[in-house]
Amino acid sequence: MAAKKLRRARLSQELCERLSRHQITTCQDFLCLSLLDLMKVTGQSYGNVQKLLCKVSLACAPKMQTAYEMKVRRAVNPSSAFLSTSLHGLDKVLHGGVPCGSLTEITSPPGCGKTQFCIMMSVLATLPISMGGLNGAVIYIDTESAFSAERLVEIAGNRFPAYFDSDEKLFSMTCSVYLYRELTCGSVLKRIKSLEEEIISKKVKLIIIDSVASVVRKEFDTKLQGNLTERSNFLARGASLLKYLAEEFSIPVILTNQITTRLSNGPAIQADLVSPADDLSLSEVLDSSLQSHPLVRLPKNRLESSRILLEICLAGASGGRKRESGCVTAALGNTWSHSVNTRLILQYHDLPTRQIRVAKSPVAPFSTFFYTIEKSGFVLQETDSE
Amino acid sequence: MQRDVGSLPLAPALRARLVAAGFQTAQEVLETGPCGLSKDSLLSPEFWLQCTTALGSFENLIVSSRNIEIGISKEEALEALQVVRQECHSDATRTAGAPGTSRKCTALELLEQEQAQGFIITFCSALDNVLGGGVQLTKITEICGAPGVGKTQLCMQLAVDVQIPECFGGLAGEAVFIDTEGSFMVDRVVDIAAACVQHCQLIAEAHQEEDHLKALETFSLESILSHIYYFRCRDYTELLAEVYLLPDFLSEHSKVRLVVIDGIAFPFRHDFEDLSLRTRLLNGLAQQLIIIANDHKAAVVLTNQMTTRIGQSQSTLVPALGESWGHAATVRLIFHWDNNQRLATLYKSPSQKESTIPYHITPHGFRDVQPPAVTQNPEGTEMNPRKRLRREEEK
Repeated sequence: MAAKKLRRARLSQELCERLSRHQITTCQDFLCLSLLDLMKVTGQSYGNVQKLLCKVSLACAPKMQTAYEMKVRRAVNPSSAFLSTSLHGLDKVLHGGVPCGSLTEITSPPGCGKTQFCIMMSVLATLPISMGGLNGAVIYIDTESAFSAERLVEIAGNRFPAYFDSDEKLFSMTCSVYLYRELTCGSVLKRIKSLEEEIISKKVKLIIIDSVASVVRKEFDTKLQGNLTERSNFLARGASLLKYLAEEFSIPVILTNQITTRLSNGPAIQADLVSPADDLSLSEVLDSSLQSHPLVRLPKNRLESSRILLEICLAGASGGRKRESGCVTAALGNTWSHSVNTRLILQYHDLPTRQIRVAKSPVAPFSTFFYTIEKSGFVLQETDSE
Repeated sequence: MQRDVGSLPLAPALRARLVAAGFQTAQEVLETGPCGLSKDSLLSPEFWLQCTTALGSFENLIVSSRNIEIGISKEEALEALQVVRQECHSDATRTAGAPGTSRKCTALELLEQEQAQGFIITFCSALDNVLGGGVQLTKITEICGAPGVGKTQLCMQLAVDVQIPECFGGLAGEAVFIDTEGSFMVDRVVDIAAACVQHCQLIAEAHQEEDHLKALETFSLESILSHIYYFRCRDYTELLAEVYLLPDFLSEHSKVRLVVIDGIAFPFRHDFEDLSLRTRLLNGLAQQLIIIANDHKAAVVLTNQMTTRIGQSQSTLVPALGESWGHAATVRLIFHWDNNQRLATLYKSPSQKESTIPYHITPHGFRDVQPPAVTQNPEGTEMNPRKRLRREEEK
């Protein structure tokens, strides 16, 4: 919309030519100028310039819709509002499942099951609408080379044995999952930009990126100067492109993220503990550097452990430069947390049980479910959620 | 009348011609009349000199004088005169102190206006108390907070609450919702609106008054949703364009009392190499929003993100968009966490004290924190009984 040429905004030909001599060709350039600049550049009076501004704004501005129209549209096509995760408790809390038209993030320490969740969702998206799926293709962008087609077939066969009773059905399901291996940030961004045409031609109904964090953290070392802004720019651009695709085609987008243990000898980044749900207590410590810290063997109680983690951070802040401090949060920073609409956190509990937590959602309160990973994918345990 | 010609809002080329022709004040321009203007600007010696040097010789000048416009045509002159006359007229009325174009009034008139003005309640009585009654009209309120703390929930709640009929203590207005982040969920608004309608129905049942029941006929889920005007702006160009068009939209829909921009920070935080351009655009936006709030007696609510500022000894969370943006909003609320409790702090306000209160987000929307010993309330009124009493008094 911003790159819309002024010619298409119904301005007169000679005006467009005059403006292009000043390097103003798009609506964005036009709207960024102040009124006096516009008077100088177009040679028109104040009143006329305001009329021109209105004309250009009309060409750029979004269409109005009332909330009622939006509701009616969703009611007409209820299956297009959510993708059911086939985990009953989770679906109920999320009012149907993973929402269409917005970004959902799965965060966890390594080995908890992010890739398994993504593979399971790929199977679900290819199912027909009568079974709770979206009857469409899946685009899977894999940056860690962790996708396993055999596991895909295994989950499909074990979870829906009645449906996938013949090899043919399994075959057609695997044909609808399009896998792309991208190993750098630039190629991921390029791939996202090219997705628009693919979505239309292949009738795609789900986009999965596994994982955003690994490719970003490989390339951007935030200790180097300037890298933090570049990283935020890349993430923001990626997020806005994905949001545009999600909304335009009304499809869910699932992204995976890692967690980070922030250890620093200097200022403690306690500010990143933006919400208690974001702060993860590791009952099994996987990071060796944190393991050596004396306060680390934490009780399982989430509140207790978050309090202790906060103390670790505060100790680092007040105690001066020599102390070590650590905080455990989702990676990719604050700005990224603003961009995703729903956040699910997977964690270890008592092996083999793990827990899945709804940490950020516009429709659901904080809740926790316990699950195990079986041949058929995720299996929820029938215990009460928090 | 003595206004300098260079300051008139005419086209720059026209202005230059008038100055070159020797006009210095607006008075002179008005006295000359359109025909004189078009002739006079022909006769300036400087003009002849410029034209002859440009065209090479006097003969060429005579030949081409029919093809080139040396001076200004009579129509242009008439247009210019009209602009000048309008400017001088409005100048005169301003200095004479006539009402209409002037924005001057005494503090007593303002006090009466402010007391008669309503507030948009938030259904959380603690927050309403801290704000002095609720979100104020004709002011810009900014809500900052970390992701997931409840900014969009409050915006959706306000978009529903502004429509409460007057007999229940509301403003009976409509709402404009400008979304830049895509976090507006219709299903959630449906839940919030249903809870609000139910609450009003309970009040009506308790009081059994005529106007209550009449108002309830029009205050339904459908009407609430139809009066929330939703715009989805994908980048800052669309946002700028929409804010330029907003005054016209508000003149057409004169019942709008609330403009929400959910995520003023999002489109400005990435891909902006030129920070001075960003500051200029944000300031321009702030000015336009203040004018909109005043002219149309609407409340403007903006949501902002938090960013980490790395200081010398520690890093803190501060509102995004920089220091100068902090001056744009009149009232600033910061939402944050404390262990597991959401808190709202009133950070900047011209009339209220700085304070912090806890709040809750329930399936019915934005609410107070329930004190432990509370009487059994019927389904749907998950608010303090105190809140209902206050409404009765207000009536």
